[in-house]
Amino acid sequence: MREVIAAPLPGLDLRQHYGHHQSPAIRAGGLIFCSGMLPVDPETGERRHGTLTSEAHVIFGNLKLLLESAGSSLDRLVQVHALIYDSIEYDVLNRVYRQYVANGPPARTVWTARIEAGFKIQLDVTAAA
Amino acid sequence: MSAAREIIPPPGPTPNGERSAGHLASMAVRGGDFLFVSGLAAVDLQSGERIRGTTASETRHILTNLKQLLEAAGSSLDKVVKVNVLLHSMLEAPNMNEVYARFFPDSPPARTVCGACLPHGVKVIIECTALR
Repeated sequence: MREVIAAPLPGLDLRQHYGHHQSPAIRAGGLIFCSGMLPVDPETGERRHGTLTSEAHVIFGNLKLLLESAGSSLDRLVQVHALIYDSIEYDVLNRVYRQYVANGPPARTVWTARIEAGFKIQLDVTAAA
Repeated sequence: MSAAREIIPPPGPTPNGERSAGHLASMAVRGGDFLFVSGLAAVDLQSGERIRGTTASETRHILTNLKQLLEAAGSSLDKVVKVNVLLHSMLEAPNMNEVYARFFPDSPPARTVCGACLPHGVKVIIECTALR
């Protein structure tokens, strides 16, 4: 059983706004696989460039909307890949990250990568359905 | 009680290429309900030779091989749930995206695309998770 999770708000449909050929998330086998989460305005889809901290806040807000619309939540994250633009921001990431994964944080890997449109962070998330 | 784990044999003789870590990674492993596919670069499935091309042509080769690999394992492209695409340059993302779209005509999988340092001049690596 494989089910497409639609964007809960129009701005989160990156396929519509940016032509990314992907579904916002897929539910399968008791898990929810999210497409790489980016700091875009959930209403308009506009890019919200900023500091790593401000971008992370936008991303977690979007992730919360997406997961809750799929019947999951930030408390049900299983695995997170945090892609950041420069490892020098590792501590900055951790400061904002811990606000969202207070109890029983998910498995996590952080690495440095080039992120589209010059964003500073992208989160690649798997959650329990 | 232990759940099933099964190595999926590759559809071609030397699919990972002679110079790659072919012996250190299975091309695909089934675990539970899922099939986990290693990051694939563009290779000729018969000869195992690396195919050097553009981002677009490498994407096409990889997804053609992926289709064959999944179908040999009893899965298919429309059972793919998550794809990770690694590109040598994010400037090439639109070129990858255009070819990619042809392989997933409807309800495409979740996907993450990022730019990364890839070995041996490879331009694209694609890994995925599919329902078996």
